[in-house]
Amino acid sequence: MSASPTFSRRLLPWAGIGILVLAWAVVPFIVGRSIVDILVFTALYTIAGLGVAFLLGQCGIVSLAQSVFFGIGAYSTAYGLTAFKMPAVVAMLVGVAISGSIAAAVGFPVLRLSGYFLALATLALAIIGHVLFLEWEWLTGGTLGIGGIAPISFYGYPLNTPFRFYYLVWPIVVVVIWLHYNLLRSRTGIAMQAMRDAPSAAAVIGVSIAHLKVKVFVLSAVLGSFAGSLFAHYVSFVSVDSFGVDKAITFLLIAVLGGVRSIAGIVLGALFVTAAPHWLSKFGDVHALLFAVLLIVAVIFLPGGFGGAIAQMWRRLGGESRVAEILGSVRRP
Amino acid sequence: MSAILEVRRISHRFGGLHVLRDVNFSVAEGSVTGLIGPNGAGKSTLFNIISGFLRPTDGDVIDSGQSITNLSIHDRSYLGLLRTFQTPQVFGNLTVRENLIAGCYKEGRTGVIAGLFKLPAVRKEFAEGARLADQACAAFGLEAVSNQLAGSLPAGKQRLVELARAAISRPRLMCLDEPSSGLSADEVAQLMLILRHLNETGITILLVSHDMQVMAISSVTHVLYFGEIIATGSMSELQADPRVREAYLGA
Repeated sequence: MSASPTFSRRLLPWAGIGILVLAWAVVPFIVGRSIVDILVFTALYTIAGLGVAFLLGQCGIVSLAQSVFFGIGAYSTAYGLTAFKMPAVVAMLVGVAISGSIAAAVGFPVLRLSGYFLALATLALAIIGHVLFLEWEWLTGGTLGIGGIAPISFYGYPLNTPFRFYYLVWPIVVVVIWLHYNLLRSRTGIAMQAMRDAPSAAAVIGVSIAHLKVKVFVLSAVLGSFAGSLFAHYVSFVSVDSFGVDKAITFLLIAVLGGVRSIAGIVLGALFVTAAPHWLSKFGDVHALLFAVLLIVAVIFLPGGFGGAIAQMWRRLGGESRVAEILGSVRRP
Repeated sequence: MSAILEVRRISHRFGGLHVLRDVNFSVAEGSVTGLIGPNGAGKSTLFNIISGFLRPTDGDVIDSGQSITNLSIHDRSYLGLLRTFQTPQVFGNLTVRENLIAGCYKEGRTGVIAGLFKLPAVRKEFAEGARLADQACAAFGLEAVSNQLAGSLPAGKQRLVELARAAISRPRLMCLDEPSSGLSADEVAQLMLILRHLNETGITILLVSHDMQVMAISSVTHVLYFGEIIATGSMSELQADPRVREAYLGA
């Protein structure tokens, strides 16, 4: 009997996760359509935000270019489906291929920079991308956009409502997180973390810094593009307004708020940037100001981001530290 | 004994400042070769040229007969040429064990895709790395701290982690930059034992230091003074050499 309190303490956090999954499954039945819509956007932004967080947390690269890849994915899906009647998966893969190729081509010269210069260079990419999306009307429809993008369907069952899309996109998020975690525990992942902590020493053990940075940048772009394609299917209409610099900042915000090395934190970061503006809009014109205040408060009270806070809570509940690592990835001694 | 590394007519200028002039020396295979000199002699510059962090203005670095002057740092690593740093460079947010697994990077073959899907090859590679890492932890006395973050360790332990991480990939030549800096007397003694052991297992060592005590383990030592090699010999020979005494003591 003496072992039972420890046992229940260990079980408690897992029970928490079980409840979370159950809550996830029933939420769309309880809340209204607009909230399910927000939760779908949270998932989409989580995928794109993970790409940015990956660059920042594992390589120390600040990227403001994610909006470009998000846009490329969205336009590939929109144009591929409407102009060429491509299957959804093919259009998605075309977007991923274009994004990956651009990231590789741009990455080699740009990733030689570091710090502020690199951030500025990626900001320049975001601006150039936005201008091209606007100017190339033949491809993107300019400000008019492209409409009538077919929803993703499974055996003739269209996922054309927030309710239905919700059950597609969240399992995708889980898969992406699983892949992300796998990578960190592989040879390449260890090399990335080595490069982040001590680039000179990483080169000495045989890591080609320039190549590895480009690889991570490509991976990040692929995630952005993938999220963009899903976004296009979900909203069925894309226009240049969705791929501006403000979107790039939103994605970076997700990474920073989440706590750059936390995976679970990224989800909360994405929830914050999608849900907070929505609720604050009730207050009328001051909502942007209130959002800014909320951001500042979050940064002051959660220096480790949401991820750091979760990891701490998990430990307090007596969960294994290994799980806390996965959740929070905060391993400060 | 053949030369594993040869420095041929290396000169280096920073702007108008001649840091190295026509430096020639070689490191014999299997030896512990020392490079000493007072502060500002050009040791670090020469060391950075040898390890690939700097391209010389003139001259060549030869590895077993092949010029490596313009080879990248990571390519030199694949040739078996590894260096350490004056301030230990560990991967601070990784555990000691993970630092050593990182040291096995060159043995691995798996790429990003395999890593994402955790293919069997990745698991196998990781398990092999972990096995080697545990061995190295035992050999370097790091077992007690193997699961601690390397960044949280004191300087002496970080130095050991750095050495173990370099040794785990079985390099041919290890270049050590001031390995005793920041270490206590006990730690220096332990360091010397370890270096001797590494040398006995077949690793050639090039030791750069201004610390005479550490130089006791070198078989041949070159003295660098204001960008030139002014003397070469065993430590006892050098200590008797008037030019060396002058360079060091200004007497």
